[in-house]
Amino acid sequence: MSREIRKKRIVLSTVSSDSHTWNLVFLQLLLEELGYEVVNLGSCVPDEVLVEAVRTHAPDSVVISSVNGHGHIDGLRVITALRADRNPAVAGVPVMIGGKLGIRGAADSGLADELLAAGFNAVFTEGADPDEFTRELARLASADGLALSEGIAA
Amino acid sequence: MTGAIGTTGPAGRQPDFQTYVEQAAAAAQLVVQPRMGMSGPAEMAAGLSAVAASRARTAGTITIDSYTRVEDMRSAGAALAAGKPLNGFPIVNHGPHTTARVVDSTGHRIPVQVRHGSARPGHIFEAMVAAGLSASEGGPVSYCLPYSRIPLAEAVPAWVDASQQFAETASARGMRAHLETFGGCMLGQLCPPSLLVAISVLEAVFFARCGLTSVSLSYAQQTHAIQDIEALAALRRLAQEYLPEEVARHVVLYTYMGVYPSTDSGAQLLLDMSAQIAVRGGAERLIVKTAAEAHRIPTVAENITALERVADLGRHARSDECALPWARQVDYGTVYTEASALIQAVLAGDPDPGTALRKAFAAGVLDVPFCLHRDNAGAAQGAIDEDGRLVWAKTGAMPLPARAAARPAVTSTRLLGMLRHTAEAHDRAGALARGGSPYRIAVVGSGPRGLAVAERLSARLAAEQPERAVEISVIDKAEVGAGRIWRTDQDGSFLMNTACGEVTMFSGPSDDGPARAGAGPSLGEWWASTDPDYPGPNSYAPRALYGRYLGFYLDAVESSLPGNATLRRVADEVTAVEWEDQGWRLTLAGGGALRTDRVVLATGHPVTELSGEQAELAAFGAAHPGARYIRGDSAADMPLETIAPGSRVAVLGLGLSFYDVVAALTTGRGGRFEADGRGGLRYLPSGREPELVAGSRSGVPMPARGLNQKRPDWRYRARLFTPERITALRRGGPLDFRDDVWPWLNAEVQLVYYATAVRARYGGEAEQRCLDAATAQILAEGATDAERIARDTAARFGVAEPDRLDVDRLARPFAGLDFTGPEEFTARLTGLLAADIAQARLGNRHGPLKAALDVLRDVRGTIRLAVDYGGLTARSHRRDFLGRFAPLSSFLAAGPPVERLEQLLALMAAGVLDVVGPSARFAADPATGAFTVDSPQVAESLRVCGTLIDARIPGTDLGRDPAPLTRQLTAAGIWVPAVDPADDGPSGAGGVAVTTAPYRPVDLAGSPVDGLYVLGIPTEGRRWFMQVGSTRPGPWTQFTSDADAIAADALAGAADRSRLPALEGERR
Repeated sequence: MSREIRKKRIVLSTVSSDSHTWNLVFLQLLLEELGYEVVNLGSCVPDEVLVEAVRTHAPDSVVISSVNGHGHIDGLRVITALRADRNPAVAGVPVMIGGKLGIRGAADSGLADELLAAGFNAVFTEGADPDEFTRELARLASADGLALSEGIAA
Repeated sequence: MTGAIGTTGPAGRQPDFQTYVEQAAAAAQLVVQPRMGMSGPAEMAAGLSAVAASRARTAGTITIDSYTRVEDMRSAGAALAAGKPLNGFPIVNHGPHTTARVVDSTGHRIPVQVRHGSARPGHIFEAMVAAGLSASEGGPVSYCLPYSRIPLAEAVPAWVDASQQFAETASARGMRAHLETFGGCMLGQLCPPSLLVAISVLEAVFFARCGLTSVSLSYAQQTHAIQDIEALAALRRLAQEYLPEEVARHVVLYTYMGVYPSTDSGAQLLLDMSAQIAVRGGAERLIVKTAAEAHRIPTVAENITALERVADLGRHARSDECALPWARQVDYGTVYTEASALIQAVLAGDPDPGTALRKAFAAGVLDVPFCLHRDNAGAAQGAIDEDGRLVWAKTGAMPLPARAAARPAVTSTRLLGMLRHTAEAHDRAGALARGGSPYRIAVVGSGPRGLAVAERLSARLAAEQPERAVEISVIDKAEVGAGRIWRTDQDGSFLMNTACGEVTMFSGPSDDGPARAGAGPSLGEWWASTDPDYPGPNSYAPRALYGRYLGFYLDAVESSLPGNATLRRVADEVTAVEWEDQGWRLTLAGGGALRTDRVVLATGHPVTELSGEQAELAAFGAAHPGARYIRGDSAADMPLETIAPGSRVAVLGLGLSFYDVVAALTTGRGGRFEADGRGGLRYLPSGREPELVAGSRSGVPMPARGLNQKRPDWRYRARLFTPERITALRRGGPLDFRDDVWPWLNAEVQLVYYATAVRARYGGEAEQRCLDAATAQILAEGATDAERIARDTAARFGVAEPDRLDVDRLARPFAGLDFTGPEEFTARLTGLLAADIAQARLGNRHGPLKAALDVLRDVRGTIRLAVDYGGLTARSHRRDFLGRFAPLSSFLAAGPPVERLEQLLALMAAGVLDVVGPSARFAADPATGAFTVDSPQVAESLRVCGTLIDARIPGTDLGRDPAPLTRQLTAAGIWVPAVDPADDGPSGAGGVAVTTAPYRPVDLAGSPVDGLYVLGIPTEGRRWFMQVGSTRPGPWTQFTSDADAIAADALAGAADRSRLPALEGERR
């Protein structure tokens, strides 16, 4: 019964170089409205702060949002750090990234494959369908992390 | 690094920031400031120098790059070394010397502020002071919470240390440190005004406690203009209450800092609104954004455009046309009470403002909505209510009234809507303004006057980029883009009367860019570029060629219109202009009609009805098959081709029109001139010429213009007949031209005459001394004796022989003389013309006579100052000015090129042309059924002529102008003959009564008619010498400033309308 009551927990973050926060504020409200408990790490999150937050809060999923165009660079680095963690709960947490990840808009289509290959479970670039995001989040957050082997690029 | 900036002279001193702003405020000027930060010193210097040079009261900005902001000078250095541009100016890496040189580029006419965004700014302040800079911004809260992960416990002490040190080190260098709070921004949007005001005041109190004695308090534009004005009013009052008296302060507004409109028109409206809020809310300074903001970092030019636009709007906002209330008119109770409660609660927490701020955030007494910083409680929410005001949705633990939070919590969807609220509202309003009906301006008449207005409209549209579409109609009944006088299909033998190098239409010189409104070639430059046989800048262009240049000019004007402005060419005659349905309706002879908001009437030379003697001669011609009368008009419009070869033709008048008629009937019929081997010309007839007998009152063909020896941009500076003297004279009431004005004008002429003679013999230094001596003596003894003084002075300098210069004598050389017959008179006239040719060849700078007469042209503006708008008594205007001076000055100072006189001599020698003599009489002879011409001063001079040509240009006379448009406007009481207020009788020249610039007609009731303008020849009388068909290269003359004044006023209407939707949007 207690398993039913406990809300799914999301660690919401951005990447280390990104000081934007309105995207995080919006996502927090959205995720809370969807019934998640949200730990919002705020702006300019250093890699080690994110890894530590995953270790501490043991979230059901990590959502990274970035809009400054450096998401593909910073995102590759932080996912590598997460997946390399010695704690299997940390290394195996479902992680999705979305937003404006490159600086060239539609010309950045190759970035998603690269990020998926590096260990993200899902990548949402500009223009993605918000419903697709929430469905995918629901799937990721309820699944056994270790069973996830492929992500969806929208 | 410094070499790239170039030499900027010795390092100057920055003006004190606060003092500069205070002085601007005292002059009712808003200081406007961009955000601007370039990586390289040269680019940064160029940006600052452009800001300093802009047409606005500005402060400059150096924005720091984001590496330096977080104290990562190593990365900044690496990027510089690798040649990668940074997103701001790395002030620490560049060092004090380079930074000081960059700031020198402003000439220190404006203060420069450093903007940075750093939570730990010590290193930036240090670099600033070392470079002589003393103004910056930020705050322990405002640069920590929104952008940084640094805890307040670290940021507050860092700001204490940095601020104290800043104040002390600046003071040690003789500067007063200035800090602007950034607390009025807090995340850019959705923070209710009371919290913004509270944090701004608290940061200012914090700065004051750190030793700052000069601060500014910021507030960022939010969602509702009137609420913003309330906030500015509350901010000023609270600053008064909480800042020590000795701390100087002002208020600064930021143009909207949230999600920016994505359309140019929306962005422009938002920017416009911020300027109005700043002025009405009493802010002394405004930090602006550009329309490009939503998409990318703006260019320097875009920044300058925005600054100048905002400065203009700021001035506009002080007028009654601005619909926003003043700060003193709004009820700022809500903002004030809430902010006051917050400030009191914070300051009650600890005697030290820094500690008090930390405690306040820890306890949630201050809680910034939607701020994710871990020191922020995060229990508060802002929201936009149904009126568009920014209000509280949740207040958390803040000591605010309970009613403040009686609203539903914000959902994600609503948050998105609120974040985009302002951008979308302005995009919609912009689209509405764009999609609305265009603003229409009609220019009736496309001669030089009308085209000049079209050019200034285009130049202003390109610079001002109004939201509303603008449609300009250029209408001409003869040829659109040339007009009747300059039409391109006329005889090539008709020449202009000004050397082509001295003629331009463009209101600025050519540059690297294409010819366009505001920048283009003179007639000479254009001619050179289109004709391999271009004869040089001192030659005289055919009128038809000038017509083609005018067409090129109109093309250039059209090409530089911005995207939402269009130019239509309408080949039709306007027959009526009537007010109908909130606009002007123009009836066209072709059957159509145009509806416009503004109408510029530049209809040019009238073809007036004949009266008196002219009418009798015309009637005689009509009644007798052997007599033909050709009325006065532009020579191109006379039916000259119908005159039979060998027939005898009388020509009435010896002015410019006479030269045109003669050219058309000689070279225009295949005759040629060749050198006679003795320095003159010989005429080789074609055999198709008629026999010409010409005459006038003076009996002298108009003298030649001196060969041009002045550069196009040469300007004469008067010594005696100065605008200052005339302005002073006019203060005493209407003047008498003969007694008050003429003596000083004549004195100026005499001065130049004798001084030029001295220069011709002894050089420029002697001339200068002669000028100085004569000027001093004339000033001491009065102008009446100027001729004698100038002559005596020249004699003292060793030049005693020149004939006296007597303008009356020059105009009437044969007065009182009798001749035994045509041969004696012709011999005498030939000698006179040869002498004039010799004088003209000496030139208009080095020839004493032509240099002196050129003064009459050069001081035309000053003469207008004395005469226009009732400057003279009615009697003197009629008798002395119109009766004597105006014709005399046209005759002596507006002559044809010297070649025309050489040709006259050749034509007289060839027997093609005779001048009958002075006081010529033209009469109808019923006995022969033809015309006769004779001179009572020349015996046996009577000739019988089948044709009589009136070679005089008809003057402006409303009453005798049969043009349908003139008739209609006169009948409607819109055009009224100018009447001299001094005696209520007609002043003698029948032009339209107009106001001063922008030259609105004054109607029958004596009121200026809004939306109409009258320019050029129709206004002759009220204004003098309107028949100017071009301007000169160089500084603007009256010709261009007249056109610009009309363009500015006509476009003001377009701007007014574009602002309305924004106001309505804000107020709903």
